[in-house]
Amino acid sequence: MELVNFILIFCAGWLVWRRPERERTAFALLVASALLMALVFFVGSRGSVLPGLNY
Amino acid sequence: MSRSRVDTVLAFAVLLLAALPLGVSVFVLGFALGDSPCILCWGQRTGMALIALVGLFILRYGPRPRYVGTGVLLGAYGLYMAARHSSLHLARDIGQGFSAELAGAHTYTWSLLVYWVCVVTMGVLLLLLRDGEATRVPRELTPLGRLATLVFLVTIAATVVQALAGSGPPPFVGPADPVRFSFDPRRWAWTMEEWKGAPISLRGRWAISKPSLDGIDPDPATGPLGGLPSLAIESDRTLAVSLKGRPDDLAYDGTSGRFLVTTDAHGVFVLDGSLSRVLRYTVIDPAFSVDMGSGLPGAAWIDSTTIAALAENKSFVVLRESDRADVEKNFRFFLESFDAFEELSRGRFATVRARLMYVSSLAYDPGRDSFWTVAVPNETQRQLVVSRFDRRDMTLSEEFVPALAPESGLALAGEKRSLAEYHVTGLTFADGHLWALSAAHSTLLAIDPLRQEVTAAWAVPGLTRPTGLAARGADLVLVGQGGQVWTLDRPTP
Repeated sequence: MELVNFILIFCAGWLVWRRPERERTAFALLVASALLMALVFFVGSRGSVLPGLNY
Repeated sequence: MSRSRVDTVLAFAVLLLAALPLGVSVFVLGFALGDSPCILCWGQRTGMALIALVGLFILRYGPRPRYVGTGVLLGAYGLYMAARHSSLHLARDIGQGFSAELAGAHTYTWSLLVYWVCVVTMGVLLLLLRDGEATRVPRELTPLGRLATLVFLVTIAATVVQALAGSGPPPFVGPADPVRFSFDPRRWAWTMEEWKGAPISLRGRWAISKPSLDGIDPDPATGPLGGLPSLAIESDRTLAVSLKGRPDDLAYDGTSGRFLVTTDAHGVFVLDGSLSRVLRYTVIDPAFSVDMGSGLPGAAWIDSTTIAALAENKSFVVLRESDRADVEKNFRFFLESFDAFEELSRGRFATVRARLMYVSSLAYDPGRDSFWTVAVPNETQRQLVVSRFDRRDMTLSEEFVPALAPESGLALAGEKRSLAEYHVTGLTFADGHLWALSAAHSTLLAIDPLRQEVTAAWAVPGLTRPTGLAARGADLVLVGQGGQVWTLDRPTP
């Protein structure tokens, strides 16, 4: 999944640099990547959503 | 500050973010040193890349609200990820951690600083912007902006390679324990491990219920030790004094012939030898400085005027009786009766084996000038842990899980039975032994701390929610949550 995420980020950065008129597409890729990041991190930490320390 | 200067600062910040945490992670730690990120590290690195990308958006299109908002959200989530990930390892011993260390700290810890700097940088740049900048139209990148973009893209492209090797294509996902990086595809170990079902928990393994006597089986016949001899209750009466709260523990001082009773409302009561008159008392303020938990299930005399009380979370307070206590000073320590005690210290015992277990008892061992506690089992931790704390530094000095003494004749009632089934609520030290009273299965255990063994055990039928145990002469005096007082002849351990 991380592979997909960094491909999305690369594509978004490339569009910003070389195809600035595709702003909406680039931003959509950024948002998709952010949501995917949050999902994957949740998968990796769902055993304890709060920091795993004494409370 | 002019827009062009802000752009320069922002381009430099993007360049730094792309080159240092992101670039060093992939080129130095990854490709050169073989480090591979775990699934949580990947999340943190992704967040940094996205913040740098937001910076490129702002360089290209201006500080539009949705870009600034996205940057702030990513910074906030990044701080959460860094705190959540670091917390897995923060409590380890010195130098220990997960995977690679960088300049004295592990990478996941550095990310906490990186995200914090990102958020601060965004705030400073916003402060420096002039009104109306957000409405500007897209423009050409400056040379520094182009350099930042190029470095960013090269770093992300390299990270794509590392992600292919370390995590693989979907549906594979970053591993919990990554294998070191290699360009050799035969060494790539893609995994679906993290997709396996796991319960969603708020606090994870730290979600331990506070100890309670509700639902505890008092029947000695169903206990883990079979065929125990019975001890008869010699007297059974009710406390004749009025206490604030229910009795939580009991201790006896042979020199002064007085009892100490602590309660579940943080009351500390010194009673006469017949338990019929309150000689002095106070109520601890449980919220001052050290959280004193939800009661005081541990009580012990240190000498004839000094006492210790313990909360279920192993926080302790040491008090000394005084007839000239400073009432004004004591306002911070006590909720009632400000003139009866001086507070000498308040702190926390820390255990190792019983770290995720509460306690419901305390004893003082004058020979070793130490305190003893016995942990009570909970939904995830099932063991009987005995811990000793040296009074000189109030630090853990001994800890063991007692075995059954071979010559005692004691035996477990079945293969799956364990001493961990006992719920020790009363503890006292006498005859060189720890006497532990379990509310579960109403059983009295004699523990030899030198041999770390249970040398004898007795069933005590007829007890109802016992919470305290004291040794008085040849007797054992027990107190119950409902105010009952039972007396037993102390057997030979």
